[in-house]
Amino acid sequence: MSTILTHIAIADGKIKRSSLEVLSHCKNLADQNGHSVEAVVVAENASNYVDGIKKYGASKIYVVENPIFKNHINTPILKALVKVMEMAKPEVFAFASTESTKDILGALAANQGAAVLSDVASFELIDGGIKGTRPVMAAKVLANAEAKGEKVLVSVRSGSYDLAESPTDAEVVSVDFNMDENELKATLREIISSTGDAVDLNEAEAIVAAGRGVKDEEGRKLISELADVLKAGIGASRALTESGVYDPSLQIGQTGKVVSPQLYIAVGISGAIQHVAGMANSKVIVAINKDADAPIFEVADYGIVGDLYKILPPFIEELKKIKN
Amino acid sequence: MDEKFDCIVIGGGVAGLAAAMTLAKNNMKFLLIERGEFAGSKNVSGGVLWGSDLSKLVPNYWEEEDGGWERFINHRRLTFMDEQSTFSLDFKSSHFNKPPYSGVVILRSKFDNWLSGKVQEAIDASDFAMDSFIATNIKVDDVLMENGKAVGIKTGEDEFHADSVIIAEGVNNLLTRRVGLQDEYVPADHMLTGIKEIIRFDQKVLEDRFQLNGLSGMSNEFVGWATDGVEGGGFLYTNRDTISLGLVLGIKDMREKNKSPHDVLNHFKTHPVIADCIKGGEIVEYSAHVVSSGDKRAMPKELYKDGVLLVGEAANLLMNAGKAIQGMDYAMRSGILAAETIIKAKEKNDFTSETLKEYRAALDDSYVMKDINSFQDAVHLLHTDTMQQKVPNLICDFGREFFTIKSEATPKSRQILKGAIKRHSSVWELAKLGFKAGKSL
Amino acid sequence: MKFYVCIKMVPDVNAPIQIKEGKLIQDADRMILNAYDASAVEEALVLSEKHGGEVEVVCIGPQKASETIRKALAMGADKATHLLTTGQEKYDSGTYARILANFFNNKEYDVLSLGKQSQDTDAGLTGSMIAELLHLPYATNAVGLEIEGEKLIVKRQGDFGQEMIELPTPCVVTCSNDMNEPRIPNLKGIMASKRKPLEQVELSSLGMNENQLIADTAVLSYSAKPERQAGQKFDGEADEIARQVAQLLDTEANVL
Ligand SMILES: Cc1cc2nc3c(=O)[nH]c(=O)nc-3n(C[C@H](O)[C@H](O)[C@H](O)COP(=O)(O)OP(=O)(O)OC[C@H]3O[C@@H](n4cnc5c(N)ncnc54)[C@H](O)[C@@H]3O)c2cc1C
Ligand SMILES: Cc1cc2nc3c(=O)[nH]c(=O)nc-3n(C[C@H](O)[C@H](O)[C@H](O)COP(=O)(O)OP(=O)(O)OC[C@H]3O[C@@H](n4cnc5c(N)ncnc54)[C@H](O)[C@@H]3O)c2cc1C
Ligand SMILES: Nc1ncnc2c1ncn2[C@@H]1O[C@H](COP(=O)(O)O)[C@@H](O)[C@H]1O
Repeated sequence: MSTILTHIAIADGKIKRSSLEVLSHCKNLADQNGHSVEAVVVAENASNYVDGIKKYGASKIYVVENPIFKNHINTPILKALVKVMEMAKPEVFAFASTESTKDILGALAANQGAAVLSDVASFELIDGGIKGTRPVMAAKVLANAEAKGEKVLVSVRSGSYDLAESPTDAEVVSVDFNMDENELKATLREIISSTGDAVDLNEAEAIVAAGRGVKDEEGRKLISELADVLKAGIGASRALTESGVYDPSLQIGQTGKVVSPQLYIAVGISGAIQHVAGMANSKVIVAINKDADAPIFEVADYGIVGDLYKILPPFIEELKKIKN
Repeated sequence: MDEKFDCIVIGGGVAGLAAAMTLAKNNMKFLLIERGEFAGSKNVSGGVLWGSDLSKLVPNYWEEEDGGWERFINHRRLTFMDEQSTFSLDFKSSHFNKPPYSGVVILRSKFDNWLSGKVQEAIDASDFAMDSFIATNIKVDDVLMENGKAVGIKTGEDEFHADSVIIAEGVNNLLTRRVGLQDEYVPADHMLTGIKEIIRFDQKVLEDRFQLNGLSGMSNEFVGWATDGVEGGGFLYTNRDTISLGLVLGIKDMREKNKSPHDVLNHFKTHPVIADCIKGGEIVEYSAHVVSSGDKRAMPKELYKDGVLLVGEAANLLMNAGKAIQGMDYAMRSGILAAETIIKAKEKNDFTSETLKEYRAALDDSYVMKDINSFQDAVHLLHTDTMQQKVPNLICDFGREFFTIKSEATPKSRQILKGAIKRHSSVWELAKLGFKAGKSL
Repeated sequence: MKFYVCIKMVPDVNAPIQIKEGKLIQDADRMILNAYDASAVEEALVLSEKHGGEVEVVCIGPQKASETIRKALAMGADKATHLLTTGQEKYDSGTYARILANFFNNKEYDVLSLGKQSQDTDAGLTGSMIAELLHLPYATNAVGLEIEGEKLIVKRQGDFGQEMIELPTPCVVTCSNDMNEPRIPNLKGIMASKRKPLEQVELSSLGMNENQLIADTAVLSYSAKPERQAGQKFDGEADEIARQVAQLLDTEANVL
């Protein structure tokens, strides 16, 4: 009987849903294959999250707690994960695909001589490793890939699996961790925090995304109003993040975030493949664009052809009515 | 760094690449500049490259694994269309099966890219491997003139000098106008719009549907209902696993009848016969591009000037007399002839019109100008209303009667024809037409 | 500073592709310089123009990749090394990382710069792998670079906004295309590129043992994505269609 280890990511004081999605899937795989599923959480006050993790069926939880993890710095995190891998000896180590994961996944694989598949949309166990599907060519097609080795790392796109609670009383292993300054190769100077209490786009139920069509203050006001009515997160196309109109962390697409909300409203976005790559898995897509031939309409369930400045006001008003 | 070139070629289309290839093979130091990201990237057109000049530029190109071309033509069809029916002249012959082929279907983005690779090989093999260039993603803004003679080109801030410039910029001949060889204003009635869809099938389906064998292919031109009353014609060419289906439409006529190319193409596709051809296909590309009518009146005043030569469609070298569109083969031949003239000029070290006029002479002497001259009437005839509407209707009407078997006494074909003629035209009109046609073809 | 920029030749994702019997087929073989690498090259050029230094590009790939390398040289890189493959190899990020680490082993440099991911595979692994293999400090997903004395200051896009990270050199950094607008080579650059040193090196000459070159991941086949059908399109009087769609979101799609 072998072990599937799952990494639990923490985002401002909460367990990231995407890592619970991964844990749910791994639990499922473990049950099917008679393996055990374990979890590791590396954070400033990691032990706070143990109960939250127990709900999802990990039989053992490695807790690495240290002030140094207040912010993401790759060196200590790597050291911690290496240590836990040596304790848990997992056959498979699964992550939710966050920026922090992307930052360390390759290094961890190299350190452990592990095979690695990043950013899969799904994965299964096969003997000697895993097989998974990866969107490639700007998510135009799926690659059916496999990774084989004594150890295999995999990171999973958010929204790929549903949450499935299966409470257990897991054994909690607190891993002692210390690291002196001179071990720190890189030093973090500061965090230029993004727009304050912004919704985590990976977890947002609804997203309103603005594109180059949103030209001015008035346009941005409309976007915010629409987002408020829907309690939606605000995203943006590259055209607006690179021009600094919206914070870069809001970029959705191949370079930016991959999201899969229930409702995605693309406003003034043409629908270049690199943008679509990040939102095509949304449940319902609404597109507002004045160009009837804009490619965004090819993926939209509801395509509104028109000037966003004329469309949004009545749209917002109508939504308000419906909402209350 | 401002080394002087023997020649700068503007435009990496068929004409420019043909010129470049000829220059490279003859050890000339040249620069070819293409606006597109790569040769062909800007190029929507494509269809049949007629004639056998390609084998002059790339001997035994057909032996290549993937020679940039799609299929060779051994099956040709000219179809007259009315609302319900088609009546075709159809010719298929194994006589066309052996290389050098007399026509290959190509897709320009692929073909141009491939051909420029071949030119690069020729450069690498030449004495100027380090000094001749194909530069893509660069737009030439102007041709440098010094007292009436072209001495180089300008792009952005940079200027580059050469003894000669070959303008191969294609139909939107802005630079041709800048150097004063074309009037600023070219009447729209000499211009057509070409639109084309690339429709993909499973290769097996395609080959069965059009009776293709190996790499054999078919070209089909259409006259009549296809263009929904707009002057012009339609075409269908078979590629490896796609077909190119499209129309060439008079811009002026379209404006007057206020129709859009897109609508007319959709109209064309609703014809039962076309519908059968494209059933189950997936549209993978749509493109539109201006194309000249082949009307001599649209030709530049002259094709040369001190230090400058015009080739291909920049010089309006194109013919569409119904049975085929010939633009690429004209472009290729003119490119070759222009380069050969430059080579002569280099030998004499005289790049003035004194030498360059030999290009015009060579062109007049070639099938290009000979055909353009002798088939002008055919070009005009094709664009008459009689030819566009009445004849196709008449022919299809005749066909319908002739091929229908109604368990009744069948009239003699003469009667059928008489009837058809009465319904669509008049004997007199046809006599005139027949006479004209006889003369023009 | 001495920059090495790792550049990869990738298929143009905008070119039409299709899948036949599980194989990925491209209509025209259009290969380009990975966009993220173009940004890495651009940034290295800007920094060395500002602080002095040298930019060398390294590319593992088949003969055809020399076009991609020329592009980087045309942008302004000083020289290039081309690690030749046949194009038949089934390499993954891991193999490329091992090859590159091997190559850099006995080299002098301050910064190894990579793209944050390959445009075609979106793997995003090679950079941090190389760093680990060479025991170098690193930062990924950089959106801005600066040099302060012997240090490289990296602005990276993290989960919680942007982080300012200070790396001692030598170090590894992977670049996002949000970092800059890569210059399009001008004619002079294109001409100059032909004369710049481009050294071709056989992989075998790196003296790696066979199993270092065996990839532990493989793509078995490709399949089409579950096609998303275009839905209804509403074209007409703004006020009307806006309210209509709002209603449908409630009653039909019930996502409100
Ligand atoms: C390697 C790489 C990675 C990339 N990654 C990403 C990524 O992660 N995310 C991303 O978004 N892009 C990405 N891009 C860029 C992408 O290719 C497009 O350039 C970008 O998405 C365009 O953004 P846009 O649609 O907002 O702007 P545009 O393409 O300019 O579209 C603007 C649209 O707004 C419409 N419009 C204008 N005015 C109005 C109005 N008044 N009312 C209604 N509609 C209007 C126009 O019709 C047009 O369709 C990437 C590119 C590359 C090469
Ligand atoms: C729909 C359609 C179907 C056709 N079918 C056929 C057919 O079946 N058979 C046939 O023989 N002909 C056909 N033609 C006509 C044929 O495409 C043209 O006659 C032919 O392409 C002319 O070749 P060219 O090299 O002169 O010009 P082009 O092929 O147009 O090449 C010109 C090149 O110059 C470049 N360029 C332009 N300006 C600049 C600049 N300032 N700086 C740098 N580069 C520049 C352009 O990017 C382009 O690549 C068709 C045309 C169309 C539109
Ligand atoms: N064949 C290669 N040659 C040079 N650099 C490469 C190669 N493959 C990957 N890289 C570098 O690694 C980055 C992408 O890593 P990955 O997404 O893991 O493929 C690229 O942006 C390059 O900088």
